[in-house]
Amino acid sequence: MSDPALPDLDPVIHAQARLRVVSALSQLHEDDRIVFPKLQEILRMTPGNLSVHLRKLEDAGYVEVQKTHRGRTPATLVRLTRRGRLAFDDYVTALRALLRPAKEP
Amino acid sequence: MASTDDESTVDPAEALRLIEHERANLERELTPDPRWMFWPWGLTWLIGFGLFFLRWGPDERVLVDLPDWLPTGALTVLLMAAGALSGIKGARSGGSISGPATDRGRMFGFSWSAGFGGLALVFSQFSDVIPGFRLGLLWGGGLVALIGTLFMAGGAVWNDRTTFLLGAWISVVNAAGVLAGPGWHSLIVAVAGGGGLLVAGLIGWLRLR
Repeated sequence: MSDPALPDLDPVIHAQARLRVVSALSQLHEDDRIVFPKLQEILRMTPGNLSVHLRKLEDAGYVEVQKTHRGRTPATLVRLTRRGRLAFDDYVTALRALLRPAKEP
Repeated sequence: MASTDDESTVDPAEALRLIEHERANLERELTPDPRWMFWPWGLTWLIGFGLFFLRWGPDERVLVDLPDWLPTGALTVLLMAAGALSGIKGARSGGSISGPATDRGRMFGFSWSAGFGGLALVFSQFSDVIPGFRLGLLWGGGLVALIGTLFMAGGAVWNDRTTFLLGAWISVVNAAGVLAGPGWHSLIVAVAGGGGLLVAGLIGWLRLR
């Protein structure tokens, strides 16, 4: 990415594992949250692995992790924040911009 | 399991593919299998209204001399079974989400119960004043009209065209059946309505795969 005309890719999102997490979460409706085990199952990641990446995304303010109770059982709910959604949109726009010149002869 | 070398990056084209794949994958995982949502209802209508047609045929003819309780009992049991099945399957796939989507589903579920309960309460007031053949049309026509309307409303709630069109189809089929009269209504609803539900389940399933 040395070409100054090309946009930089957000390093928080531009790592395969976190890109997958953010992509999946972006498909939820705004304000909807998904339970941790289901997200883990859908992404086919280990709990430890998913936790590590969620923490990095949380530190960046892209993801909100909420510990709560459903009846008596504790539940962890995950959602993409507004900021995370914007960052994801910017990331996708940047990807498209990077691909465009390559398609021209 | 995915690779644990997680700070690895991919090129932009691959990243776009990955994004599309994960978005589609989440959608598929969270959508209840349309076969479980539609097929129990389709079979219920095919069998239940089929028995109604045999017992209370057109022009007050009795095609098969079934005991009175059999068609009504079978339809009631099948309706409850279909409701339970699709309710459980729907709740299971929606249970991992919390937020506006779940509230929407719950409110929609309650509106079904309210509609069925309300109609049953009204119709049961007329059991002794309307003759059997007409009574069947009142119950059958009324409940199927409600179901058609609720499918259309469900299509509006979830912005799902297949469900909306299915509701519209059921409403049209029901109106045609009511106009054709007792007996014919059961046959038309069994074949066209039940068949429509089976086809809708198949289309939904093929689309999700």
